[in-house]
Amino acid sequence: MGVVTLNHYILLASVLFGIGAVGFVTRRNAIILFMSVELMLNAVNLMLVAFSRFKADMAGQVMVLFVYAVAAAEVAVGLAILIALFRHVRGVDINRFNLLKH
Amino acid sequence: MDIYFWFFAVVAVASSLFLVLAKDPLPGALGLLTTFISLAALYLHLHAPLVAIFQITIYAGAILVLVVFVIMLLMTPDEELGVQQYNISYKTLGAIAGVAMTALLVIGVKGIACIVGEKALPSDFGQPGLIGKLLYSDFLLHFEVVSVLLLVALVGAIYISKRNL
Repeated sequence: MGVVTLNHYILLASVLFGIGAVGFVTRRNAIILFMSVELMLNAVNLMLVAFSRFKADMAGQVMVLFVYAVAAAEVAVGLAILIALFRHVRGVDINRFNLLKH
Repeated sequence: MDIYFWFFAVVAVASSLFLVLAKDPLPGALGLLTTFISLAALYLHLHAPLVAIFQITIYAGAILVLVVFVIMLLMTPDEELGVQQYNISYKTLGAIAGVAMTALLVIGVKGIACIVGEKALPSDFGQPGLIGKLLYSDFLLHFEVVSVLLLVALVGAIYISKRNL
């Protein structure tokens, strides 16, 4: 197992990002899509904090705080859009969100 | 401290897989909560206590509660997941693409890590006071822009959810 290095954290964050991306592409439930985006943002945060730790540069941790603010804004607006869409199509399956087609 | 990393890494990956594979959004949200908490533990391991606390309060506290609240609002029994989502070829293709992307990401970021090189850690690294000083000196402009962004998101969220769009 050895000492935990930056490479371990890079691997972990990449795997989490990949899981989130696969969830975003393959799932059809809009709420799970949102949560997959959150997972990808968290993977990026982990990468930032890991680099900040192993490069001894605290700017990475400040960046994570900004990512938190952007994620909060994204969720607030995204879930509001989701509720507005739900009023129209009575569902959260993204295959039914095709208003612009018709 | 190795076992600490491995434990929380395995928990994070397993619970995020649980989220992606969950049939219902609510168990998925609980999987995401577990991921958030184990990532907070890893932030402590990385000498980032302030980020760990924000991870718990903002993500596990605010964002996930908002998501669960919306699940409660939207999930009527009729709105079970449709037949279309069990398209096996989509899932296989998605998994292959995900593995390929993860591999590319690992290779690329490892290249960057090699270029930058590692440094020794100062004894006061990760102190919240130092982060605060950095936030109000080097990152002051970013801080102000983010506050405007949050205001715009607030107004937008109220407008979108109020009007009969």
